[in-house]
Amino acid sequence: MLTLTSEIRTPYHRIRAGAKLAGLCAATVGLVVLDSLAAMLLANAAVAGLYLVPGRAFLRAGLGLLKPVWFFVALVMLWHGLTGDLMAGAVIALRLIAAVALANLVTMTSRFDDLVEVVMWGLAPLARLGVNTAPIGFAIVLVVRFIPVMLDKARLLIDAWRARSPRRPGWQVALPITLVAVDDAEHVAEALRARGGFDMD
Amino acid sequence: MERQVTLIALFAALIAVLGLVPKFALASGIPITAQGMGIMLCGTVLGARRGALAVLLFLGLVALGLPLLAGGRGGLGVFAGPTVGFLIGFPIAAFVTGLIMERMRGAPVFPAAIIAAVIGGIVVLYIPGILGMVAMLDLTVTQATLSMAPFIPGDLIKAGLAAALTSALYKARPSSVLSRA
Amino acid sequence: MGVTHGFGSRTVLRDLTLSLTEPRIGIVGRNGSGKTTLSRLIAGLIAPDAGQVTVAGVAVAKDRKAAIRTVGILFQNPDHQIIFPTVEEELAFGLRQLGQDKTAARAGARAMLARFGRVDWSERPVASLSQGQRHLVCLMSVLAMTPRVIILDEPFAGLDLPTTRALRRYLAAVPAQIIHVSHDIAALAGYDRAIWLEGGGVAADGPADATLAAYLQAMEAMGDADADL
Repeated sequence: MLTLTSEIRTPYHRIRAGAKLAGLCAATVGLVVLDSLAAMLLANAAVAGLYLVPGRAFLRAGLGLLKPVWFFVALVMLWHGLTGDLMAGAVIALRLIAAVALANLVTMTSRFDDLVEVVMWGLAPLARLGVNTAPIGFAIVLVVRFIPVMLDKARLLIDAWRARSPRRPGWQVALPITLVAVDDAEHVAEALRARGGFDMD
Repeated sequence: MERQVTLIALFAALIAVLGLVPKFALASGIPITAQGMGIMLCGTVLGARRGALAVLLFLGLVALGLPLLAGGRGGLGVFAGPTVGFLIGFPIAAFVTGLIMERMRGAPVFPAAIIAAVIGGIVVLYIPGILGMVAMLDLTVTQATLSMAPFIPGDLIKAGLAAALTSALYKARPSSVLSRA
Repeated sequence: MGVTHGFGSRTVLRDLTLSLTEPRIGIVGRNGSGKTTLSRLIAGLIAPDAGQVTVAGVAVAKDRKAAIRTVGILFQNPDHQIIFPTVEEELAFGLRQLGQDKTAARAGARAMLARFGRVDWSERPVASLSQGQRHLVCLMSVLAMTPRVIILDEPFAGLDLPTTRALRRYLAAVPAQIIHVSHDIAALAGYDRAIWLEGGGVAADGPADATLAAYLQAMEAMGDADADL
């Protein structure tokens, strides 16, 4: 299953997911509270250092995940430049980069299954209150299972369009794709019911 | 009960798929990313509560590290970024869209869906979206709104398309449009 | 009609050169042999990594406008192929893409329905049709565009025998060249030429009866180890 977890092994992979998330929260609070350019530069240097530990390839992968941020960095600098407050803009931009990069670091070094476990652990209080949390785990599995299936069918439908038109597929293709979702949901529900369904003890 | 869970799960998958396929083209030839339509569809088709759950499920998986946002983005980083306001807005938008759809049960599907999609999918979505940008980027509301303004015409069109899709879906599979149940 | 291609594509098809001129050609092979890739290449839906594909002089991958009026392709599952909610819209779509205006396209769609005696299907939602009927809609959509070459990619999967026979009869009467991709030999009875693809290359190529017999023999000689499990 395609996740954003990096295949490059890092020492961070071994740290428990819950601990990394807690660390991320603390670090993000720190980033928000600190407000000087010096602090932000230091923070970014530290984050860059963290990325360098597993090697340059890992750093490059991390930079790849940062691509969407550059647009907003430019936006911030533009607006703050127009109002004559470039310094503040730089602080914000650096804070943004550090925060996103740290969050990405957790994503890149945590396995999907471990993170799901953290989620289910977090939902445990709800289970004690009587909320049935089993369907949630099931729903996660279902989505992960069906995205590639639905994607394949969507691509078939797009091919069916391209076979009859030289133009890029139009929005109408979304209808049969949606029908696939509806019909597959029906079939899976049937299969579920045939195997006992969500029997609550 | 099983059917509701599977519909929620498969619509969450649908949001992902609509973001992962190559962009569609409008009649004029302009390319659009269909993912926003997916959010609106969750509301117009599944209704308020289930639509919101489908979107929350989708966001949960994005947070868990699946590259499901348009362009193959995902992970915790997107929640630390300036678009987090929009991400928070997604389930709220689906909820309000679904709510309006359910309230307008008496009206024909297409006009109900278009009103629901515009109010829920655009107005309600942009409020947390813009506030998020204001908070994260230290912009004024005006600056943030101006930055996002170019996207609104495209979103209006997406609302229309989502309404057309809901209407067509209602004709093809009426029992699946839970907002009308 | 004169399909020539030499290429190595994604190591799915290795350095394949074929010139397809016979009116009825079958392409057999096991799952994963490259049949589907070949069908997409002939239709121009994918471009080869190396080499070129031309159909009746049209470079199908590059010149999509000319390609759609030259090659038609029928896929396996109508539910993954029919895009529009009503039959007439679905048929008219291809005609509009060929450049006809709305009225002409609708008339063309009705004419095609009339040829098959199904004018009453015009406004019907596709969802109300049976599986076999949906297969027919797909066939009509392709025929409406009067292509010179029609590719069939396992078009009869899941249909009962009478329906399959009826669809085969319609296809037998079609003037276009037919290239039929299948792993089912019975579907290719009476064809002129058959090509057996194996592992991205040609294992056998020649008169249909002989080639299919060789293919059948080889398939029956295979043990469980060769199964796609």
